[in-house]
Amino acid sequence: MKDLAVRLAALDADAGAALQVIAYFDSLVEARAGLQSIVRGAAVLSGCPARLEDDVRRLRIRVDPAGVSSLSPEPADPAWLRMPILADGTAALWLERPGPPGPIEAMILERATGAARGVLDRTRGRARAPDPASVELVLDGAADPELRRTAARGLGLPADRPVHAIALAGGAATVAAADAPVPAGRAGIGPPGSVLELPASWTAARTALRFTAEGTEEDPGPTVVHFAQLGALALLAELPAEPIPDVRALEHAGSGAPWLLSTLDAVADGVSLRAAATALRVHHSTLQDRIVHAEHLLGWNVREPQGRLRLQLALALRRLHRHRQT
Amino acid sequence: MTTTLPPAGSAAPPVPFDPELGAALTAINEMLPPAFTADQIPLLRSGGPLMVITDEELQRDGKFTVAERTVPGLAGDPDISLLICTPTTVTGTLGCVYHTHGGGMIVGDNRMGVAEMLDWAEEFGLVVVSVEYRLAPETPHPGPVDDCYAGLVWTAEHAEELGFEAGRLIVAGGSAGGGLAAALALMARDRGGPELAGQMLIYPMLDDRNDSASGLQMAGRGIWDRTANDTGWTALLGDARGGPDVSPYAAPARASDLSNLPPAFIDVGSAETFRDEDVAYANRIWLAGGQAELHVWPGCFHGFDSMAPQARLSQEAKSARVRWLHRLLDA
Repeated sequence: MKDLAVRLAALDADAGAALQVIAYFDSLVEARAGLQSIVRGAAVLSGCPARLEDDVRRLRIRVDPAGVSSLSPEPADPAWLRMPILADGTAALWLERPGPPGPIEAMILERATGAARGVLDRTRGRARAPDPASVELVLDGAADPELRRTAARGLGLPADRPVHAIALAGGAATVAAADAPVPAGRAGIGPPGSVLELPASWTAARTALRFTAEGTEEDPGPTVVHFAQLGALALLAELPAEPIPDVRALEHAGSGAPWLLSTLDAVADGVSLRAAATALRVHHSTLQDRIVHAEHLLGWNVREPQGRLRLQLALALRRLHRHRQT
Repeated sequence: MTTTLPPAGSAAPPVPFDPELGAALTAINEMLPPAFTADQIPLLRSGGPLMVITDEELQRDGKFTVAERTVPGLAGDPDISLLICTPTTVTGTLGCVYHTHGGGMIVGDNRMGVAEMLDWAEEFGLVVVSVEYRLAPETPHPGPVDDCYAGLVWTAEHAEELGFEAGRLIVAGGSAGGGLAAALALMARDRGGPELAGQMLIYPMLDDRNDSASGLQMAGRGIWDRTANDTGWTALLGDARGGPDVSPYAAPARASDLSNLPPAFIDVGSAETFRDEDVAYANRIWLAGGQAELHVWPGCFHGFDSMAPQARLSQEAKSARVRWLHRLLDA
């Protein structure tokens, strides 16, 4: 039956028309229509051009009332009817005519932006967590190499650039390209290598994690440690878990004064005592007083080179002992 | 030969509609349901969903002259009316599109579907001739197709008077009109004339047997489902519908020989009754060594492009027809 043209655009401003608008966009949503179809619906039902702009995805869609897609070189006129699609204001829908909107246009804007929001939520960058089974597989040195490569591809790891394993607090693991940004929170970073070297990188990452600290007064130190930067220090991790006198001395000293451990950490880490004072936000002379007090409790001089190394080792060992290998 | 249809209980699941067209269908079905029976024919004809098209609309601001000519039917048949739209602003030799309107063989007039013909006429320089054929059930086969053939013969014989080159005559129609256009191509071949440059069959109604899988799976959905199809074919053929004695000029799918036909363009939706018979027709043309172009539009219901013209697939379907016409008509 040809030519039984139904002009959806010819809507009366009554309840029936509003319901038709609602039904139309509900249908689009149910059929998982894309953004262009949604914008087209807005244009055809309102009888004026409609456009959608998403700054994050760099998306520009524009459809005229005849349903034809055509971008316009002109930017959106601030006087036009506009409704944001996302709360952060990075995506919006326009009907290209000045306001205020009639009741049907208001309904069209509301339903179209709702439909568009669903699409953007579904397809935009809420970063998907890597599949834990695949992560476990790529970290398993005993697993078949082809399976590991396939799992790595599935995780989105590059095949042609270095990758590394990351050990997170609580025993969690993740894998990433070596040039990717480091995750927030405590993390031990394994050395970079190929996909098949990830199991070794994971072992190293777990060691590196033991050298991290919360970065608090009670547990001062770095929150992120790269195994590759530990050097020989990594050997300390292989020591048996016996109490070491210097570590006990640190604990004893720290229990007496809350500021002592972070002060010692700053002294151990700082390029100079002045730098340490700045980091601690105390006066240089205050720092001097604290150091004297600490040395009295510890039993060795921390300002001389050997004493400083001894302090650095003691602090590292203390972290190791706090984060026993699981 | 039965007038009852086998139950649709074991049919395959329906093809989902394209999102835009599915959304439009909700409003369309309010005015035109998927199925209807013979008793509803008067209601359909009363013009509820049909739009009246005026001479003014056809003239398109002076781009066309519009005339109606009464010409003789085949021997013994009443005279028939032809609507003739001639472009006024085109230079060079004109062609002609002979249009047979749709409406399931039971409704419609020769102004239905002409808008798209006028679009082509503007693009290619065509005279549009649209025939007013008698409708079923009042006029059973062969009355309707004979009217169309008589008008076609008259048009071809008066090419010079109408102002077009006889070698650039095509037949075109949608739905029942597509079936009529296919029948005209068969008749022109079998009766030695007129010479046709091409046949544009838009979701054509070709097969009175109405037993296809696509009809079964889309029963009760979309536009012109198998029940409506049964209504139309029964109005045209009566008890003969689906039986052994149906002429290929009534139902072109019944033609045993599809060789030596003018190049065909066939389109159809994947979600309509006619999908299987239209695909089969194109395939049989190829098997006979002929030329055909077939487009099956995904998730589209019958008549989608005329009922929801703004939808993306509607735009694509219409431009696919135009591209074929370019290849056919450009020198």
